[in-house]
Amino acid sequence: MHASTRHAALRTALIVGSLGLFLAAAAVASAQDPSASPGADASASPAAPSPTVAVEVAPNIPFDLVAPTATPAPLIPGPTAPPPIAHPSNGTTNTCYECHVSVNVQQRTIAEKWQASIHGQNGVGCADCHGGDPTSDRMGIAMDPEKGFIGKPDRLATVGVCGSCHSDPSVMKQYGLPTDQYAKYWTSVHGQQLLAKNDTQVAICIDCHGVHDVKKTTDPSAQVFAPNVPELCASCHADAKKMEPYGIPTNQYDVYKLSVHGKALLEDGDLRAPSCASCHGSHDAKPPTSDTVVNVCGSCHTTTEELYKQSRHAELGAAAPKCWTCHGTHDVTQPSARLFFHPTPPEYTCDTCHDLQNKTLRIELARFKNEQDRRCDSCHHPDSDIYAQVEAIDGALTVAQTAYDGAQAKIDEAAGYGMIVSDADVALSEAKTGIIQAQAAVHTTKLTLVAPPAAEAKKKADEAAAMAQAKLDETVFRRSAMVVVVVILLLNVVALYFVKRRIEHRA
Amino acid sequence: MEQGQGSAADEIREPAGAGEPAGAGEPAGAGDPTAPAPAAPVVAAPVVAAAPAPAPRTSTRRRFVTYLLGFSVVTTLALIAAPIIAFLVPPPELSAGTSGKVLAGTTADIPPGKGKVVAMGSKPTIVVNTEQGVKAYSAICTHLGCIVTYDNQSTSILCPCHGGHFSPTTGAVISGPPPSPLAPVTVIVEGDQIFLVGA
Amino acid sequence: MTAETDLRPAPDLRPAPDGPGGWFESRTGIRELAAALLHVRIPVEARTMYFGGIALFLFMIQAGTGTLLALYYKPTPDAAYDSVISIMSNISFGWLIRSVHHWAANLMILFVVLHLLRVFFQAAFKRPRELTWLMGVGLLGITMVFGFTGYLLPWDQRAYWATVVGTEIAGSVPIIGEQLLLLLRGGADVTAATLSRFFGIHVLVLPIALAGLLAIHLTLVHQLGLANPKKIDPMPGPPPSSARKFFPDYVLDEVIAWYLIIAILVVLASIFPASVEAKANPLETPPETKPEWYFLAVYEFLKLVPKLIGILLPMVGLAILTIWPFLERSPEVLMRRRKIVVAFATFTLVVGIYLTGVGLGFFTVPEFLHFA
Repeated sequence: MHASTRHAALRTALIVGSLGLFLAAAAVASAQDPSASPGADASASPAAPSPTVAVEVAPNIPFDLVAPTATPAPLIPGPTAPPPIAHPSNGTTNTCYECHVSVNVQQRTIAEKWQASIHGQNGVGCADCHGGDPTSDRMGIAMDPEKGFIGKPDRLATVGVCGSCHSDPSVMKQYGLPTDQYAKYWTSVHGQQLLAKNDTQVAICIDCHGVHDVKKTTDPSAQVFAPNVPELCASCHADAKKMEPYGIPTNQYDVYKLSVHGKALLEDGDLRAPSCASCHGSHDAKPPTSDTVVNVCGSCHTTTEELYKQSRHAELGAAAPKCWTCHGTHDVTQPSARLFFHPTPPEYTCDTCHDLQNKTLRIELARFKNEQDRRCDSCHHPDSDIYAQVEAIDGALTVAQTAYDGAQAKIDEAAGYGMIVSDADVALSEAKTGIIQAQAAVHTTKLTLVAPPAAEAKKKADEAAAMAQAKLDETVFRRSAMVVVVVILLLNVVALYFVKRRIEHRA
Repeated sequence: MEQGQGSAADEIREPAGAGEPAGAGEPAGAGDPTAPAPAAPVVAAPVVAAAPAPAPRTSTRRRFVTYLLGFSVVTTLALIAAPIIAFLVPPPELSAGTSGKVLAGTTADIPPGKGKVVAMGSKPTIVVNTEQGVKAYSAICTHLGCIVTYDNQSTSILCPCHGGHFSPTTGAVISGPPPSPLAPVTVIVEGDQIFLVGA
Repeated sequence: MTAETDLRPAPDLRPAPDGPGGWFESRTGIRELAAALLHVRIPVEARTMYFGGIALFLFMIQAGTGTLLALYYKPTPDAAYDSVISIMSNISFGWLIRSVHHWAANLMILFVVLHLLRVFFQAAFKRPRELTWLMGVGLLGITMVFGFTGYLLPWDQRAYWATVVGTEIAGSVPIIGEQLLLLLRGGADVTAATLSRFFGIHVLVLPIALAGLLAIHLTLVHQLGLANPKKIDPMPGPPPSSARKFFPDYVLDEVIAWYLIIAILVVLASIFPASVEAKANPLETPPETKPEWYFLAVYEFLKLVPKLIGILLPMVGLAILTIWPFLERSPEVLMRRRKIVVAFATFTLVVGIYLTGVGLGFFTVPEFLHFA
């Protein structure tokens, strides 16, 4: 009987040991934070925007945007559009193409490009831009100046050739194309340079749209398709050698690529995001001035513009900050609370705010060229009332944001325990609405307009946190109850074990 | 105590057998008014009853085991029955999601040309009284998730965060950054009462 | 009336039993039946590890919790998801009942498989127990279908898309695949028809089928007794060297095991309650759809081999498993005397565990094993 006693002893020890281990494991597991339950879904709403790293602007040419206090130089008026080139035509034959496609490789390339282009597809032939007689297969007649042949027009004349059709509404109506490009072009910096100095370096129609291979602007392979525009402009404007005579910077494209706008357009392919042309204009390309920039930004950021117009800044005209003062031009980054203050206050001198010549209040954009200087306290001294107001605004937003983050953390924790948190999520999204409204209201510079949505956001966030806390308390209760229940169950097992032994001994 | 076969059978009244709804146990007093009183705390924890020596058949020990067994049976039954009974009692107010119909208000609360945001279960919903009848949509803006409101001035649904406007008759985007329309919610109007049907 | 023609039952001349038990006994005559059922004997060498009994217990738990859930669950696409959320948030102990149902489902499948492995490696399926094995494989199949049909019921993204993938795989079975897919889905796509069908199958068809097969299985176990893992039963004849009492000894051990299972379920349900993902959206496919762990091995296998092999091989394997007692007929029951069979089965088991681990993300398959 020794073997069976030993067996019995071993079995007892094994069972008691595993029971004890099990109890210990259950107790330990309930005391610790468990890992996320399998399949637990923490469906949290996205948090308010967090600050991104400030983009360093490192100009290689002094950056100096002059706010136009003086009257701007008058524009040289552009010429009226010339009529389309008169040339013979029978509507169908195009001997130019048939000949040039077999002349040599270069000519064939040009001819084939034209045929695939939108002009080639819509019956705009060689003679419509170059003149000559497309019905004759004899070169002497086909390329005869008396038949209108002008060969390759010079750059100034080229604008006229394009404009001769493209500014005529009766011609363009059937294609639904606008006809103001020609007139607009002459108001642009490019056009004015061409008129004033016959500068052949500036962009004309063909530089952006192509010569023989013109495509629709909606064609993703076109240079003028929105996401391709920045690179197109950069092909000249990022070239230091080309830009040297004009003294303008060449880092805009590099900077723009890192900006919120650049990332949205170039990386996310979001066609709502601005390219160079959206703010500078395309045919009427000219940088916005400080009296127009608010409306330019406001063409997309409508609500922000409305809020800005309620602010004290909007009343001060040229002497007050505009959108780009705090948010930058090409290097627009995600705004955040960092825009309020420097880590340590900057230096203040008389000419920080005043023009020493005529003693007027003025603001120089060059002071804000580094992202670190785009702060309220770049102008507002720490001892001033306005500084105190900014502090109050910052405080209200921080309170709301802290409440929001705390509530979000609690919700995530509850969701990690497998609790269903959709009601807390809804309350939190209401809080987010309040925070976004409060942040937008900063543009009014008025605490009375920032404080209410911030307070509402905090209230909703606290409600969400309370809901999440209730769920967390429930998990604590459940796990404590679990331990009690497991203890009772194990006691049952012990009781049964005693009975079992009794029965065995009786047998 | 009886000896011999079958004696143990009379003592063991375990709830074994098919069909017994055996849910796992919870202490009965889990904040639920319908459950019986909480289980009493255990007196002794003889878990580490280590030595497997043959038990002397003293009557105290026998009685202890009998009581322990009785206690086990009772607690097991209580632990199983209490949650089941609590489960079967319907909650005081079923959430909107299961009952389907939620009263959003009356046509007096939301007169023609006006709108209001109500909570439907855990989902905010905007109810608008338009010329083409009462309409309702999810109040969560499709841009960045803010809660929309009704703008009396423009008589459209407006998101205060970035100025997105939605049509009150179709929920489609009129202007602004939202990429897609508001999800519609079924409305049933009975008399002057406006009901929303959950989905 | 003579003695030959008197067909009335002989009068019971035994003295009436005493006490309250006696009242019940004289009105049911249950004592004799109970004795026949309970007072059987078990080979002292039997080592069942109680897996089968635990599987039975888990089924009873599923029936109970499932019935309770069915009182609140609504089987239509519009209402199913919200009703599950309501059970988890509004109903007292709803989270407990549902979580226990979820975990007991997983444990039931686990223990059915463990029970199968125990029976296989102990050769307890050999004569005269071939029919028991047959019923058992049927029970395994029913359990898996339980898992598959029940999985759809919460109608969240995970449930919906796992069902789409699972029925697609069923649809790729040769010859009958298309019909099978229509039959399973109640149409070409997973819709309200699918949900109704799965609910009816899960709640009515399968419980009845399982109860039926279980009755036969348990009757056979009772009739034939537990197998002796040391040597095969002589044919014909009563079970040999049975020295242990089924009741109360074995039953007591079984009940202790059941208590431990309850404890495990309580811990699992409290620490890892059942969850839901977002509501099912037929227009939005989640990035990675995986079936539940018990189908993962076949799923991963399908990814590694050409499609036809991936479908047919598991089916052939299942068929072989079903008729196994008729393939391995030798009287050897000791593992060391069945080395080839044990080796092959161990290999299959290891591959199954490995593939499941791959599906769970614990292992990656080296390139040379990709045959597809």
